[in-house]
This record gives sequence, structure tokens and C-alpha cells, in this order.
Amino acid sequence: MTSTPAYFTAQTDLKKRQEGNSVPTCLTVTTLLTSFPYMTLPAMKTFSNLCALLLSLLLTQTAMAQQRYTLRGYVKDKQNGESLIGISIGVPGTGLGTVTNEYGFYSLTLPAGTHDIQFTYVGYTTFKTTIALKSNQSMDVKLEQSSSQLNEVTITGKQNDKAVNNMSTGLQKLSMAQMKKMPTFMGEVDVLRAIQTLPGVTTVGEGSSGFNVRGGATDENLILLDEAPVYNSSHMLGFFSVFNPDAVKSLNLMKGGFPAEYGGRTSSVLDIRMKDGNNQKMQVNGGIGDIFSRISVEGPIKKDESSFIIAARRSYVDILMKPFLKGDMKDTKLNFYDITGKLNFKLNKNNTLFVSGYIGRDVFGFQKQADLNWGNSTVSIRWNHVFNDRLFLNATTYYSNYDYNISFNNSTSKDANEQSEGYSWKSNIKNYGIKPAFTYYLNTNNTIHFGVNAIYYTFQPGTGIGSSGGTQLATILPDKHAVEAALYVDHEYKIGKKFGLQYGLRLSDFTYLGSGTAYYFRDTTPGIRKPFDHSKDFGKNEKIVTYKYLEPRINVRYNLTDDQALKASYTRTSQFMHQISNTASPTPVDIWTPSSNNIKPQLADQISLGYFYNARNDAFEASAEVFYKKIENQIDYIDNSNLYLNALVEGDLLPSHSRAYGLELYVKKDIGNNTGWISYTLSRSERQTNGISGGDWILNRYDRTHNLSFVGTHEFDKRHSLSVNFTYASGTPATYADARLEYQQWDIPYNTTDQRSNYRLPAYHRLDLSYTLKRPKHRRWEGEWVFSLYNVYARRNTYSIYFQQDPDNAAHREAVRLSIIGSIIPGITYNFKF
Amino acid sequence: MQKFPLLLLLATGLLFGACTDVIKLDVPNKKNYPVLDAVITDQPGVQKIRFTNSVPYQDDSTAPVITTASMTLLDVTDNNTYPFIYGADGYYSYNPGENIAIGKLGHVYKLHIEYQGEIYEAYDTIKRIPEIDSVTYKYKSKEDNVAGKEGYFARVFITDIKGATDHYWLRAYRNNLQTRNTDAFAIDGAFNEGLADGFPLILPLSESITRDDKPYQIGDTVIVQFSSLTYPTYNFMNQAYNQINNGGLFASVLENVKSNALNVSPSSTQKILGWFSTNSVRYKSVIIQP
Repeated sequence: MTSTPAYFTAQTDLKKRQEGNSVPTCLTVTTLLTSFPYMTLPAMKTFSNLCALLLSLLLTQTAMAQQRYTLRGYVKDKQNGESLIGISIGVPGTGLGTVTNEYGFYSLTLPAGTHDIQFTYVGYTTFKTTIALKSNQSMDVKLEQSSSQLNEVTITGKQNDKAVNNMSTGLQKLSMAQMKKMPTFMGEVDVLRAIQTLPGVTTVGEGSSGFNVRGGATDENLILLDEAPVYNSSHMLGFFSVFNPDAVKSLNLMKGGFPAEYGGRTSSVLDIRMKDGNNQKMQVNGGIGDIFSRISVEGPIKKDESSFIIAARRSYVDILMKPFLKGDMKDTKLNFYDITGKLNFKLNKNNTLFVSGYIGRDVFGFQKQADLNWGNSTVSIRWNHVFNDRLFLNATTYYSNYDYNISFNNSTSKDANEQSEGYSWKSNIKNYGIKPAFTYYLNTNNTIHFGVNAIYYTFQPGTGIGSSGGTQLATILPDKHAVEAALYVDHEYKIGKKFGLQYGLRLSDFTYLGSGTAYYFRDTTPGIRKPFDHSKDFGKNEKIVTYKYLEPRINVRYNLTDDQALKASYTRTSQFMHQISNTASPTPVDIWTPSSNNIKPQLADQISLGYFYNARNDAFEASAEVFYKKIENQIDYIDNSNLYLNALVEGDLLPSHSRAYGLELYVKKDIGNNTGWISYTLSRSERQTNGISGGDWILNRYDRTHNLSFVGTHEFDKRHSLSVNFTYASGTPATYADARLEYQQWDIPYNTTDQRSNYRLPAYHRLDLSYTLKRPKHRRWEGEWVFSLYNVYARRNTYSIYFQQDPDNAAHREAVRLSIIGSIIPGITYNFKF
Repeated sequence: MQKFPLLLLLATGLLFGACTDVIKLDVPNKKNYPVLDAVITDQPGVQKIRFTNSVPYQDDSTAPVITTASMTLLDVTDNNTYPFIYGADGYYSYNPGENIAIGKLGHVYKLHIEYQGEIYEAYDTIKRIPEIDSVTYKYKSKEDNVAGKEGYFARVFITDIKGATDHYWLRAYRNNLQTRNTDAFAIDGAFNEGLADGFPLILPLSESITRDDKPYQIGDTVIVQFSSLTYPTYNFMNQAYNQINNGGLFASVLENVKSNALNVSPSSTQKILGWFSTNSVRYKSVIIQP
């Protein structure tokens, strides 16, 4: 990893500068820059110029400032020691304030003197204190969960975590508490199902792995679990997400207005944070449901200082099925499991270390002669370091792996005189990443984020092995390698009480490198397989092709009043990883491939405008946003493309232009005994590809014109609550055959219009209910029953429509509707905690 | 890879009650094209070509036969010409004599079609084929079958010819050659190039000749047809097969299959669909007995 030295340079540099109490921002960035691999001179210059500009701005500000001191520290939950994200810290009546970051850290610079300081967050009792600020000061705060079930907040100060007060556009937050209230599918709280109720998020249907954000493809979402990327976010082909609800603390979904810190995907960032583990007392959480069970154990390693959490789930469909399976079916395997764990150590006042990991796998097997399994594993190690009152570092290194295996053999059905045969196929993608991220809290109005990302990728696109008797043959596609690196700087700037500005720049650099083989193709008519010209082998770390982009990111906020804001944003993002999939929803065997000499990186520009309203006393929040997004170089496929175990797969790919635009409305109520949200999205997502549909603009397969979600919970009292979820979405586009060709007793469907997406499937709608009954607490034991009904009116929503000869009468032809869920699905779960 | 999606869909179906319904769907027919169904084999005796018009998909009537075309097959290698004449059975036929085969291994053939003032031409070659060793079957109870139906499950044993990449089409008929039962495609002995050269057909292929939902019963005749294909013909057939079996969770967008019968005048807007192929073909049949 070439970037490791760079990171250490940064650290020593910062230490040096700290002593002089100067502003350690841009010089450090420049230092990092020089030791950075594959950076070119012009790019460096642009970046340095920007830094210089920032530096002068900051220095001016510092010079004007009067005697100011900084208050900083961590905010944690009193009961379990979890760090609290997004807590508002403010001086009532002044508008001065900040929020805690992803690690619960805050830094607030105020004029010398006595201040009332208030810490507030929904669901927590407000903490007020008065401090006499005469020097820089550290103060860690523990907030107590409010005893009221109604989440009342009785404060008058400014809520800095509210959308109306922060800089972000296109940002959706959900806490685990909110997700737990929603009706579930088979009793299981699910992170990915929860985000599908938010505006701008859709899927192609039940059982589809992946989700679409603001008209983007499923591979355009950067899904981070404690900052490690996750490549396949679902179990069971999309029915459940891989994130164990007992181990998740919160999630942020960024649909636009991306801070410069994030990159590598064009449509969204789903940032999932795991719980740290209770550092006060041992605690066990668990649940027993009809599909799977889960258990988590968390507790202090050393009280107040270190803790752990380990959470595991396993589905037991196959075990439940076992009594019903006889004969050859007995060995059917159908299960998944995942284990999530995290450790954290507070080394001292200024240093905290986190180690988190995930491993999960889905297994399908049949008669010992067929086996298919896939899964992710991730490890991330993070170090939080507080250099001084104003400079915070989070350095993350991570490893992420996704792989699958398919195999057949004839062991169980072979006759004695038959040779044994086998066939297997596997593929994987591995990432090694490092991400030092600095936050410099210059003063109340200025915060600077800067840092470096570097990722080294290896891909094994596919290894197929066939064996017969003693002979073995293999097709091994050469491994691919790539380095993705970025430098970023981002400035949050509050100008007076009304204006807020967050602007930044990200310099992304991607190199496709050896050892590996690059394939070169000749040009041809778009839409047919490109003829292979020649290939060239490259040595280890030898550069095959490099791409560089400067990505500006701007968010502007203007507060019309204290409770209303207008926001606008423009962002450019790039993407170097592509999932090769031409099916309605990606399959577990769809490989990821890097940008190469043939596949150009995706580049997206998005603008959005929003109006945000926060009702008095936080009774409810509302927002309206419009967006327009343009994406270059999305991947499309020629007809009859060969995507598996094909070294020349790049000759079957076509670049397309894509655009999406829409309106998102959202109303959310967090407090009271009726809580929930309504979201509505009106949008369009389409693409144009030379070689497909005559080069016309066609609707993307995941386009849905209308998308409405209602999520509501009514708490009757402390023990009983009822939740409702209703979803309505326009049908996705479909391509229907209007003619059939008779050929060798087949009826080949044919679309004589030659236009893709010439029809739409029927609309999707569904109602879910769930009822929660909390049992009275018995000693330490807390239990609850969750009864859920999914698809209450048993609608057979259309997943796809296809054409076939009637299997019982070949002379009859018919259209067939496939519904993945054909009836009402009940679920019962018992959750416990002690 | 045909078996895996099926298995997965089945698994999810078991769980969540996935279901299919036949629905009434109005898809107005915009246009129709002539369709060529020409498979010339190395078998001795009469060879037939079908030429029809496409019909609206959900129209159950047989496609109307085009009677007015002129069809000529040329053996490019031997420079022989075989005129195919339209007959009362609805086919264009050529009969070289009972024991004479016009299809010869390694020869290149051209089909010349004249229809409505346009000329279309298509080429293909006859590739090598291994013999079918045997067809076996065994009884499975309801519990032993994924689809829960009892019956007889047949297997075919064929070993790929070593060297070079071979493409094959494996079809099974039930009782007679008018009742297609299953289709599968192989590259050497498996699904991908370079993995099974000279190998026996791997299990998912050798077992493909039985439908899980309709296993054979006593008295049924299993007729196995094994044909060699050129790479372009393999591509066409594989693509067409994917279009007729394009359901399920991982359905892909409907693709229009292209034809190898091209209009000789590139500026003409008239086209025909379908395919001309030349195959070596082998048959083996077995009658299911208790």
C-alpha cells in the first residue's frame, strides 16, 4: 500500500505544527499531495491554489477574532456509554452551536466568559450547564434517555441537527429506534427496507437485491458499514439486508449534496454505523422469529473505557424444512448467517481505537451435488485522535471482500462404473483501504474537513474448473488490480445567522494497473460485439490507464426565518467500480469490474434545490426537494451478451448517457404518541445508448413515476403500539413481445417496435401492519412480542411479465405474471433483552 | 446455468409463496415479418425448410405459411445446387433419395431465398458430432424430486470430442418428434469454453432431458436429439432459448433475435427473421419400462 507512508507523514507534520499553535491545514495537505501516488502536476497545482485561498480566508478570520476559547469533548449515552451522533450543543439565545460528529465528538469555540450550554437530542433529557470559559476546556457529557415514551423535547434553543439548520441537502437520517417502530417483513427489522420508505429511494420489486436512489442504478450506492464498503447488501436474494439490527446504531443516506469526504459512487452514500457496545454493564439482546433468530452480547471490557459487542444471526428455513424433506431432497441447504462484532478502547483522553468486523454468507445447496454460496466480509480499524481542542482525526483502515462459489458434482447420482465429475466456478473482489480524515474546528462559524482516501483493489473475475475422472481443465480469467485515491478538502462556513455554505473539492485519481491483461477491440457498429484486436500483458503495478477528476461539491443554505430554510447544492461525483448485470435485479453472481481502457468511469453531475421547514416546538419537519442528475458512461449491454467467465466481456458493453430528475416531498413527526413520516417522489430516470432502441432515450428499468410511502406508529401506552406502512409505486417499465416467430417448435417472442421499455407493469402497492406488546420488566429481563402482517390485502404485485407456451399445451401461448410474494405473510418475533 | 435460477426461484417460492398467474394482456401487434426455419442435417433422405409469417404472440393459430418463395441450397464446398420445392405439406423440400445425405461434414452451405423481389442469403457449416453412448432412466418418488412429482428421470451419456471447441444442442422429445420436451446447450461437455474439452456432458446437461415437473411415465418414449452447431448458430439458439424462458427473479430485458439470412441489397429496408443452420445430428430413444 503506497499510501501508508503518506498517512504517517501527515501525522508527524501535524504534530510539529501543533506546537507552534498555527493553522495546520493546507501545508499538510500539500505534503500529503507530494507523497501521493499517480498525482500529476496540474492537478496538484489546482489543489494547492484552493488550499492557499482557504488558508488566507481562515487566517483573516483568526486575526479578527477576539479572545476565544474552545470547549470540546465527547457526548455519550449515560445508560450504555454509546457515543451519540448529531447531538445539538448550543448557547441558548445566541444561535451559536454545533453538533457532535460520527464519533460523538464536538468542539465549540466561544468568546471568553460565562456561557449557558445546552445539549439536546430527541429522546434524551436535555443537559444544561454553565461554564466559565477562561481557557480551552474539555468536557465529556453523558445524556440520559428520557423516561417519557413520547420523546417530548422541552427546549427552546436552536436544534443544530435539524435539516433546517444543517448544510446538507438530500440527507436522510434514521435511527435504530425509528426503524424498530416500522412494520417488518417476517418480524425482522431491516435497514434496507426502512430506507425504501424515504423519498427518492425505490427498488424494482420484492426480492430485488439493491435499491435505486434518485434514478441511479443499484451499483451506484456506496454502502459503508463502519466505513468499509459492502458489495452485496442482501441475504436471501434481496429479502433481508445483511445488517444485523441489534448491532446498528444509525444510518445516514446521502442522496445528493455529497460532502467532499465521500466519493467513488455516483448516486448515494449509505453510511451505516455500528453500535460501540455497552460500556456500563453486560447486556444480551435477542430475538426469535419464524425465519431466523439473532442474539447479541455487549458489555464493558473495562467500565467507561472499553467495550465490545458481538451479534449473530442464522436463518433456519432448512432446519424447519428438514422433517418435510425426504429421499434425495434431504440434503437441501438453504440458509444464511452473519456475525457482526466491534471492540472499542479508550486509550486515553485523546485516543480511541475501534475494531469492527462483519462476516456473512448465504448458502444454497441441493443433494450434495450442487452448491452455491456467497458472502461479504469486512474489517475496519479506526483510530480517533484529538490533536488539540480543535483538530480531530479519524483514521480508518479497512478490508472488504465479496466472493461467491458455484459447484456441481455427480457424487450422489453416479453409477459405480461412472467417472466422478465436477464443475466449479468462483469469483471475488477485495479492497484494502485507508482513510485518514481530519476535522478542524476553526471557530463557531468555520469547520474544515480534509483528508485522503486510498483503496487498493484486486478482482478475481472468474475461475472455472472442470474435472472428469483424473483430468482437470480450468479457465482462469486474469486477476485485475486497481488503485483509487482521492484528496479532499471541505469548508463549512456559517456567514451570519442566515447564510451557511459548505463547499469543497475532491480530487479523484484512478489507475487500472498490472499485473493483468488489457484487451483492445476494434470499432464496430454500436450494438454488436466489438471485434477483439489484441491483448497486452502488464507487469506488477505497471499502469494500464489512469483517470483523474476534479469534483466540486457545493451546498448553500439560506434561512428565511428560524424555522424555514432554502438550500441548493451542486455536486460532481465519479465512479470506478461497475457491476456487470443485465437482469432485472443483480444476482449474487454478477461480478464487479473496475474502469479500464475500455470501460470509462462514470461521472455524475447533480443539482438540487430544497425547502425545509421545522414546525414550532419540533412538532414536525417537512421538506421539498427537486433534483436533476446527469450520468455519463453507465454500462449497458449488447443483445446476447456473454457476461460470465468471459475474458472479452468488455467487448459486449456499451456506454450510455443517463439522466434523472424529480421532486421529493417529506413530512416527518418524531414526537408525541403518533409518529412517522410520509414521503412522495415524482421522478423520471432514462438513458440513451447508441446501439439500443435506435439510440432513442428510453426509460430505465427502475423508473417509477410516482412513489408514495406512509409509515406511522401509534403508541397506546408504554406497552402497546401499532405500526402501519403503506407503499404505492407506479409500475416499472417493461418490454413486451407483440409477435412470435415459429422456429423448431419454439415460439420466439419478438418486439416488432424495436423499442425497449414500451410498456409499464401494473402499479405496486402494499399495506403492512405490526403490533408490539412489551412485557412488564421482570428483574433485568425485558421482553416484547411483535406480531406483523406483510401485504395485508394479499395483493399479487407484479414482479415481471413474460410470455411462454403453455407448459401443458404447447399450442397455446400465454402471458404470465410473476409475483414474488403472492399472499399475506404473517410474522411473529419475540425480542428480549437482559 | 439453467438449473441454478430454477433452484433459487424454487427455494424462494417455498418460502414466501411466490406465484405465477396467467393474465390477459393486450399487446397490439404492430408488424409481422417472414420467418425462416431452416435446419439442414447430415441425415439421409428428404430435407425440409419452413417459411412462415410471424403472428401476434398470443394468437394461438399456426403461423401462416409463405408459399411463394424460391429456395435454393448450395453446397459451397462441392459446388452442388439443391432446389427446394414448396409442397402440399407446407414445407419447401428436397429429396436426394432415401439413402443419400446432402449434408456432409465440414461442408459450407449457402441458402438462397427469393421472395417478393428481394434476395436473402445465409451461410452455415456442418460441424462434427460424437455418438450418443446411451440413455438411461431411473425411478424417483415424489420426495426425491424437487418438483414433487413421481416418475422416471432419464439421463443421456455423451462424451465431447477432444480438441477444438464444440457447440451442441441437446433436445429431448416425448413420444414423437412433434412433441418437444426439453432443450439445453453445451460448450464441449459443459457451459463454458475451456472447462470440459473431451469430457462427458456434466450432470446438469446429462439430466436436462427430463422435466422435473413432468417426469416420464411407463410407456413413454424418450427421444434424444443431439446436434452440432457452429458458433453463430449456437449464439442464435442460445439467445432464442433465453427469450422463451425469460421468467423469474432474474429475468432480463426482451431481446430481439437477429437473423443470418441477410438481404443481398444492403440498401433495402425489407428483412426476414429466423435462421439457417446446418447440423450433424444423432438420435437415440428409449422406452420407459417398469
